[in-house]
Amino acid sequence: MRPGFRMTIGADRREIAGVNAALAEFADAHALPASVRRSLHVVLDELLSNTIVYGFAGREGGEVTVEAVLRADRVCITLTDDGRPFDPFGVAAPDTALPVEQRRIGGLGIHLVRRMMDEVSYDRRGDRNVVVLAKRLTGG
Amino acid sequence: MDIATRSQNDVTIVALVGSLDSKTSPQAQQALDGILAGGGRKLLIDFTALDYISSAGLRVLLGTAKRLSGAGSALRLFGLNETVREVFQISGFSVIFAVFATEADALEGL
Repeated sequence: MRPGFRMTIGADRREIAGVNAALAEFADAHALPASVRRSLHVVLDELLSNTIVYGFAGREGGEVTVEAVLRADRVCITLTDDGRPFDPFGVAAPDTALPVEQRRIGGLGIHLVRRMMDEVSYDRRGDRNVVVLAKRLTGG
Repeated sequence: MDIATRSQNDVTIVALVGSLDSKTSPQAQQALDGILAGGGRKLLIDFTALDYISSAGLRVLLGTAKRLSGAGSALRLFGLNETVREVFQISGFSVIFAVFATEADALEGL
């Protein structure tokens, strides 16, 4: 079995802390570079909070499974949720050149995910959203 | 996260320890709101012990910056690690915020 972790959380933002703890432990056990660990914390916060706040809005329950796998040169993360169909990467990037008074945060989280990961993809499989991310261990 | 606040003349220095994300941003918002409500107009935020920031944290900083504009006020940040700097660059925050390497640099000319 490849090293990694897998956990499922419910529709509660407080449960993201459990994923952060699992990621920190995984990063520590395999001596991942701090920049890789931190980038993964950022993108998991963005994607999990998006799913919990918007993907599960207007319904009871909901669950997201996070699976991280360490490969030779990268960490691959798969997020699977049973929320409403939503392709996070189909959203236009925000204008990051506006002055402070006109700035909005909407869309910025996904923009961070796209730019901080080396690969991102989205697929709708049956009644699940599947987001796959890859972060290389070296070279930005 | 832990938030430590101290004052030096008319400058308030806020040290953020841990991570500024969807979980901790309400706490940071509350701390910064408290300083502004108490009349603080010159704010330095110490990122030295901040591990990472997500867009929820950026929202808190942006809200604070919007309320801290005008004469006699300042918002300066220092001690950003590589990942926080990357988040700032991607989001365009490195252009709208005054970012310094060290506390001494950030205090200069305030």
